Amino acid sequence: MQSTVTPLKDDFGPDLATFEKLVEFHVRTGATAIAWPHHKAESLNLTIAERKRFAEVAVKVTAGRVPVSIHVSALAVEDTMELARHAEQIGADAILAITPYFWNPTTEALYDYFVRLGTSIDLPLIAYNSPSYLSGVEITGELTRRLIERLPNFVGMKEASFDSEKFTEIARVALAMRPEFALIAGVEWLAPSVPLGGAGSYSSAGAICPNLCTHLYEACVAGDWPTARALQYKLARLWDLFRDQYPSSLKGGMVIMGRAVGPTRPPLPTATAERQAYIRTQLEEMGILDTEPHGW
Amino acid sequence: MTKFIPGLVHTPVTPFKADHAVDFDAYGRLIEFHVRHGAEALALAMHCGESVSLSDAEQRTLLQFALDKVGGRVPVIAHVSDSGTGIAVARARNAQDIGAAAIVATTPYYWTPPPAMVLEHFAQIGAAVRIPFLILYSPAEMPGTRIGTDLVLKLISRLDNFAGVVDASLDWQFMVNIAWTAQRARPDFQMLSGTEYMVSAGALGATSMFSALAGVAPRLVQRLHQRCRKEQYFEARPDQEAISALRQIVKKGGFAGLKAALRIMGRDCGVPRPPNAALNAPAQTQVAAELDAFAPLRDEPRGW
Repeated sequence: MQSTVTPLKDDFGPDLATFEKLVEFHVRTGATAIAWPHHKAESLNLTIAERKRFAEVAVKVTAGRVPVSIHVSALAVEDTMELARHAEQIGADAILAITPYFWNPTTEALYDYFVRLGTSIDLPLIAYNSPSYLSGVEITGELTRRLIERLPNFVGMKEASFDSEKFTEIARVALAMRPEFALIAGVEWLAPSVPLGGAGSYSSAGAICPNLCTHLYEACVAGDWPTARALQYKLARLWDLFRDQYPSSLKGGMVIMGRAVGPTRPPLPTATAERQAYIRTQLEEMGILDTEPHGW
Repeated sequence: MTKFIPGLVHTPVTPFKADHAVDFDAYGRLIEFHVRHGAEALALAMHCGESVSLSDAEQRTLLQFALDKVGGRVPVIAHVSDSGTGIAVARARNAQDIGAAAIVATTPYYWTPPPAMVLEHFAQIGAAVRIPFLILYSPAEMPGTRIGTDLVLKLISRLDNFAGVVDASLDWQFMVNIAWTAQRARPDFQMLSGTEYMVSAGALGATSMFSALAGVAPRLVQRLHQRCRKEQYFEARPDQEAISALRQIVKKGGFAGLKAALRIMGRDCGVPRPPNAALNAPAQTQVAAELDAFAPLRDEPRGW
């Protein structure tokens, strides 16, 4: 599943025309779903009004060819609620929400938060677990169990702990209660998650190498582990490359692939010419430039 | 020769008597139990064996006792970690002298040395012996000192006997980096899973597994390991989930939870040494009730 970046003009203003091209590129190159705006889309650097406009474009361009989920997490929970209602109004297929930012809510507060959000809409809800980025605040297997019991529209989780025990515990609980529950690795960690019941992954590098992402998924589903390991390693190298000041390096890499999407909004840096040159050497070394599509 | 693939490595607890002395009678029975129930190697005394609560002399005595008891039936890996590099070096030399098959060491306790000194710590321990040398990475237990691929690559260049990393981080990025980066520098280099989460670790390239829960559920652990060794990861999922569930029951009580589970399975190894407390009566009752209701344990051996 491709979670797209947010194209910006040189003055950091929204570039909706390029966003249309980008969504179209992902659908055309095999995305099974479009997800926007994850953190790689600089969600927290966009105003609520801007997020609504981009979300409307994502739904319009995709036009039902693949599902569209909208990440609704904002600093203020009231903004999150508003974005969720908006996603439902414009015809999105699902919403995604992380545990609240900045605060360290108790487990009970997390439960109340997701229940309030999930019952405010009829859309499917995908929760987002990212304990390493949020001071250890996490969705445990036990919290997952309670939320599945309470929310019929709680259909999946973006699982970004990248930790064997945490993933196994959520999978063990969730899939026993709701076999169709979609556990989606936060980035392309497919080899360690698919055999545990993982349904797939969101993609960090899909704007660079959609073919590689598809091949990894196919190798994992087929149980071809030697191939999966080789491809997983390549994607792990790419994750190491791009997560530095994420997503500025990713946007820098997209320039090299002929799909420029503009700068990154402060306080995140924009990839310099030197950084782009380094990214080029890495992509060349991994054979990405020869095996992946160039341009739109 | 650095290639060392110990397979399924059981990590026994250390039994104590009521006066906190090591209970060698129980230890002998426990070692025998592990060897008869699927251990392809033993590693001792690991943290689950309360190594940090044992004096240097006790650690040496325990190792000698275990080597005598095992009698060469399976390799014995000696855990030699300490705060001081010199203490760990001496322990490593002793382990080699009395017949350990390999040594394992983790980052120094308490201190958080700069990277160059962490490298020096491991380099001196590894250089003190000719037998295979493994590093244990357990950031949840010791978050102050990180191990990265840089350190591993430098150790590979300095130590011919540096054979692998035992991963207890459970961190997929760390595992894939170790498995691939280190193996490009030394093809025989191994990534070993430091816990029973072998499905993910195996899919990322781990070849062996350390298991503390093997003392509680050796058949379940062995079945998981055998399936993962054949790369049957989808088939291994039910056993992986069962072991994860067992771990959640046991770990609530820490080391005391593990010893409580052993007692419930008919293999009394006493309670932990201070400062780790025994489970209180209600907690003990709860663990007993949860294990009693835990269906996968019904096929597991009771008693010694």
